[in-house]
Amino acid sequence: MRSAVSSLIVLSALLALSAQASEPTDENWGEDDWAEDSWAEEEPESRWHGFIEAGTGQRIHNDPAVGRAETLEDVRIRIETSGFHGDNSYVLKGDLLLDGVEEQAGIDLREASYSMTLSDSWDLKLGQQVLTWGTGDLLFLNDLFPKDWQSYFSGRDTEYLKAPSAATRASYFGDGANLDLVWIPDFTPDRYINGERFSYFSPVAGRNVAAPQGRIDAKQPDNRIANSEWAARLYGAVSGTEWAVYGYRGFQPQPNGVNDAGEPVFTRLDVIGASVRGALGQGLANAEIAWHLTEDSDGDALLLPNDQFRFLLGYERELLPKLTLGLQYYLEQTLDYAALERSSASPYNPHEYRYLYTTRLNYRMWQDNLTWSLFVYHSPSDDDQFIRPSVSYRFDDNLSATLGANLFSGKRPNTFFGQFEQGSNLYGRLRYAF
Amino acid sequence: MFNRYLKSALPVLTSLMLSVSVQAADLTDAESIVKQANLASYYRGADGRSEARMIIEDSQGRKQQRQFTILRRDHEEGGDQQFLVVFSRPADVRNTVFLVEKHAQGDDDRWLYLPGLDLVKRISAGDKRTSFVGSHYFYEDVSGRNLAEDEHRLISTDEQFYLLENVPRDPGSVEFSRYQAWVDKVTLLPMKIEYYNGNDKLYRRVEVLKTDTVQGFPTVTRSRVSDLISGGRTTMEFRFIAYDLGMDSGVFSERSLRKPPRQWLKRPQ
Repeated sequence: MRSAVSSLIVLSALLALSAQASEPTDENWGEDDWAEDSWAEEEPESRWHGFIEAGTGQRIHNDPAVGRAETLEDVRIRIETSGFHGDNSYVLKGDLLLDGVEEQAGIDLREASYSMTLSDSWDLKLGQQVLTWGTGDLLFLNDLFPKDWQSYFSGRDTEYLKAPSAATRASYFGDGANLDLVWIPDFTPDRYINGERFSYFSPVAGRNVAAPQGRIDAKQPDNRIANSEWAARLYGAVSGTEWAVYGYRGFQPQPNGVNDAGEPVFTRLDVIGASVRGALGQGLANAEIAWHLTEDSDGDALLLPNDQFRFLLGYERELLPKLTLGLQYYLEQTLDYAALERSSASPYNPHEYRYLYTTRLNYRMWQDNLTWSLFVYHSPSDDDQFIRPSVSYRFDDNLSATLGANLFSGKRPNTFFGQFEQGSNLYGRLRYAF
Repeated sequence: MFNRYLKSALPVLTSLMLSVSVQAADLTDAESIVKQANLASYYRGADGRSEARMIIEDSQGRKQQRQFTILRRDHEEGGDQQFLVVFSRPADVRNTVFLVEKHAQGDDDRWLYLPGLDLVKRISAGDKRTSFVGSHYFYEDVSGRNLAEDEHRLISTDEQFYLLENVPRDPGSVEFSRYQAWVDKVTLLPMKIEYYNGNDKLYRRVEVLKTDTVQGFPTVTRSRVSDLISGGRTTMEFRFIAYDLGMDSGVFSERSLRKPPRQWLKRPQ
């Protein structure tokens, strides 16, 4: 309740700020009087930017496992700066987050990085950073870098789907191919669904559970060199078609194994894969494959995930001016499935072939100030879906608002999206950027 | 505004023309004029850099701004080009980078780098006559329109301008039925372009408000697009322009999306 009040205070402060902000903007950017100062900003030694954002979200169903209706009660202050040090550059970006749902305040260091050019063909980026690669649209096959599913499911900005990690990224740029090598010394898992904000299905209990009893607090692998994460991407382009080959050694980004003591653990994971992306007809097509090779290479360990083969096909094109359509087919095949069936008679075993389709529709209007977006995951094999409609409006260069929903539904209680049916929510966010 | 500018510029233009007209007779071939106008507008030097800013005004006078640095390199004069656009304003697009491989024939390849997600997003070839970053400029106004898409006819020639009538070969592909372009006889820059819709009503104007000579090249430093139906308009200004910097093709790559090339982005001394 207190957080709802503080959200209101921030909202009214944002509105007041934006009302004030329009005047100086006119002065600096007046039609016939282009003040010199706005050109003079090229290389200030230190410039601070950021935003203040308030967000609120409510469950549309009652979730008996969680009890509370709120799924999002954020007040967030972003502060960032970037600059150059010779030809090298630095970025510092942090959020102060007051989280009314988890009733805590904290700092989320999104980036603290230093980028260097070592030679004509080598770059190095050190420090806290967000890392992304692969061709999927909100689907990940070869991108094992940390995600934040709590943010994604509760309606925070898409930016927060990716969580940062402390990493070293070395990039080589050659004539025919380029190479990225990433080392994350201390394994950084996803910010997974841990029962705190959303309940999840427990195969042991046979129903949804949540914190405090159902809170997942998995112990991370020991911080040793042997337990660090390595990721590599070799990539290039041939006449407009981009290709890439990927490799990863580390751990499952979510604790989906159980050890002998019955505790959730992150199990070993190695991944190899490849992708292509290029123009096809009026649009863009992409394909990606990945083999997820787990500790349970025979598939018969009851409490460990099996190997998987993952496959993605995607196509995107502009259907009409300003209206974009994206379609994807995604398959997760559980390997050694016979062994899994032999070792586990659980009614909640995964399907051997879990597949889904995604549809994206984006439409911009009013001089791009209003954006409608719809993203739908639909899985015929799991008989569940996740529907994400949203509308965003830019009032001006500083103030913007987003309304949206995260709608989960499914026929069975244990499927990937179906288990979050009681977490379906509506949310709204208001942001003032400076 | 346009008229006022023309009056003040007239003596300069006239004296320039006097000196030029000694050597050059009027051009009479429409194709040759549009070809030279295209080169004058979009292909000066082998490469170039400029800082740009825009004020976008809607019909109610509400204003938004955009500021970015643009790098360009030509694969060949009048042919394929590369662009890198690095945004610095407003806050929600700061450090967003846009990369374009422009193809004279066929669709352009376009990528967008979103720093918050570290995402290199490839963008499907879209309608080139939609808004460039929310302004009244279209992508095509910024990077040029394929000459082969229109039929060009020279209507008249006066003291200052070649007046050209242009009709799309595929009327279904564009929102206009025809446009007229006033091309400066000396600089060969199109100084005003007026677009007519299907009812032959004038609805859109692109005009040059100011030019400067940079390294010997006449260069547009201020221009405006007006939506004559809604009353909205965007004014764009270019500064810190430099040509022939010697950029190589590698400047326009994924490397620059993630780490914008400081060497070329910083202001020339």
